[in-house]
Amino acid sequence: MMRTLCATTLVAALVLTGCGSAGSDSPSGSADDGKLVVWDWKSGEEDAAAYVEKAKADFAARHPDVTVEFVAQPFDQYYTLLGTAMQSGTGPDVMLFNGGGQLRDRADDLLPLGDRVAAERRRLAGWDAFTRDGTVYAVPVTLQGHPIYYNKALYEEAGLDPEQPAATWDEFTDDCATLAEETGASCFSLGNKEGYGIQFFLSALGSGVLGPAEYDDWIAGKRDWTSPRVRRIFQLWKETEEAGLNNGGANSTALFNEAFARFESGDAAHVVGLMSDVGHWKEFGELLGEDDVGVMPAPRVEAGAEPSLPYDGGIGYAVAKRTAHPKLAVDLVRSLTSEDALRAFSDGAGAIVSDTGIDVPGGGPALASIMQEVESGKPALHVALSAGTLDLMGRLSQQLLSGSASVDDAVRQLADSDRAD
Amino acid sequence: MALGDSPPAPGAAGAGRGGGAEPARRARRVPAPPRFGTGRNADRLAPYVLVAPAVLVLVLLRLVPLFLGVNFSFTGDGDRDGAAVGFDNYTELLRDPVFRTALKNVGLLVLLLPVAVAIPGLLATFIYLRVPGHRLFRSVYFFPAVLSPVIIGAIFNLLLAFDGPLNSALEVAGVGPVDWLGDPDIAMFTVVGVHVWATFGMALVVFLAGFATLDGTLLDAARVDGASLAQVIRHVIVPGLSRTIQFVFVTTMIGMLTSMFGLLYVMTGGGPEGSTYLPEYYIWIQQGRMNRPALASAASTVLFLIMLVVGLAQIALLRRTGRED
Repeated sequence: MMRTLCATTLVAALVLTGCGSAGSDSPSGSADDGKLVVWDWKSGEEDAAAYVEKAKADFAARHPDVTVEFVAQPFDQYYTLLGTAMQSGTGPDVMLFNGGGQLRDRADDLLPLGDRVAAERRRLAGWDAFTRDGTVYAVPVTLQGHPIYYNKALYEEAGLDPEQPAATWDEFTDDCATLAEETGASCFSLGNKEGYGIQFFLSALGSGVLGPAEYDDWIAGKRDWTSPRVRRIFQLWKETEEAGLNNGGANSTALFNEAFARFESGDAAHVVGLMSDVGHWKEFGELLGEDDVGVMPAPRVEAGAEPSLPYDGGIGYAVAKRTAHPKLAVDLVRSLTSEDALRAFSDGAGAIVSDTGIDVPGGGPALASIMQEVESGKPALHVALSAGTLDLMGRLSQQLLSGSASVDDAVRQLADSDRAD
Repeated sequence: MALGDSPPAPGAAGAGRGGGAEPARRARRVPAPPRFGTGRNADRLAPYVLVAPAVLVLVLLRLVPLFLGVNFSFTGDGDRDGAAVGFDNYTELLRDPVFRTALKNVGLLVLLLPVAVAIPGLLATFIYLRVPGHRLFRSVYFFPAVLSPVIIGAIFNLLLAFDGPLNSALEVAGVGPVDWLGDPDIAMFTVVGVHVWATFGMALVVFLAGFATLDGTLLDAARVDGASLAQVIRHVIVPGLSRTIQFVFVTTMIGMLTSMFGLLYVMTGGGPEGSTYLPEYYIWIQQGRMNRPALASAASTVLFLIMLVVGLAQIALLRRTGRED
């Protein structure tokens, strides 16, 4: 009896006084005098070595007394580790972010960069993905987008014209039927184990469904989930599975890198890939041959849609609000996005960097198509959504593929989640 | 300090070890000389001082974090960071279908426990009964127990892929491919199956140790009486091993509830459709990826309560069997 009473009193006291903060970010001593700590998942990679060296040299020339320590974290655990470190106040001074939800969700812990990077804002592209409510929180290093890649050799084998990919959805499904019949390849190589497949699909095909005004509204945060065209995108996702356009077992296939590997091995005719880093023109070209990799605009599904390349800032460096040396940290971010450093990154990793004045070497027709479309490209649809909504979308997309959820139900749940953010 | 000031009471240290009973009795009769006037106090304090490090470690590294965690679970995330929110996090947890799935999966693990215990039990029985090749099987069965869950997960990812070798073999046998890790009705059973495969070696060793204490004459008597294998297992082996079986039940349950994170992380990432979430995986995702530390604290508190109930039930079970013996 006494014990129950004590326990009840304790719980009541906790409920009433629930205090402190689980996300407290009291400053700690990671930024010692003369030392900056950078977290990323890139600096340990061989093809980024020259980039890091250039950036370090540029920074050392301006601040010879300051030591910079790069800590490369594994990408698949990066945000969990970063989130834990930031909450316990032991995070780095400067950190790498993917554009979009993860950065926006943590913007409260980041230093608003605004005028501090005025020169960079004129020189570089891809800021939308690093902006929340009009404030810039990170400087873009690469541009990231979601082109639809296709295998020209398979097109030829199927008797299709590789230089004239389908412009409408009906033509596209006809081509896919021909490709399946003649080559045995599936239309799409889809990996949705982590729920990334739907994100890529939404962004790559969205501009072929939404009208330009609705597209811009979506990016601006005015998302109308009751719109028939938004519903159409998710309907299309379900239809591709039902029509057998995807490879089998998409829900247990990892996009990174099982799905890309399927495309590279010629088992699938199309894949929604990336513009930089991995699953991109350079990787595909190495295996399929540069000239056999093509990039096509989204097939037009609805009248009035204007297909465009979905792209935005890919990765970018942000500064922690709690850093002891904000000026030094911003200077380091400047060095990390200096022209020399970005050129080295472009050469080493085959990435399309945020400084569009820098020529990207090689790449063949796929890269040429991408660079041609960058001018008219728009931010990717999924990047505008929060991490929570994207997580939910991943699970719902798996239900749509397996048939355990209806399109209406999925869209309604997504609308609720998006409104709650 | 207190220890230095107080000389050990004569006999307290020496009696038990070297002197035997007689010097100890004599020592008790002679009162300790009251040096410095603090000897008695020091004696009284000594036990507390001796246990202090352990208590401090427990309090600082266990109880304080536990209290902080429970406290944080009553605060908010994001805009409401640090504000008291009462039971909001707990209501959100109950409303979250993913967390409900995670709890259901805990129930599923409890239901599957007998299978996870029966497999090593049966195999150990076969080894004990010296089936041909039992020496080889003994080492082979233990082999997966030394592999890390990440390696095991990666291996089974390849084997169980939709276009992987297992499905190819099924196809040859005329059975359609099964999406082992992509079908929400199957994935959890697949992961549990792999977990059992990976860990049953340890339980098998415990069973073999239990068999070592089994009275061989009972088995011989049963055989002479013409008992079949099933009868031997049912009437001789199982009753003889009841304490071992209970021990394996307890350790397997703890293993299932606390060590499946690695496999889930590598094999399914909680999917498909969130069907393979367990509370610990949910906590990890909310805390890091969703930036919801307070919600994660609430989920941790719920997991703690579940473990408390399971732990207390297990202690009660062990006590009862202790009394029976």
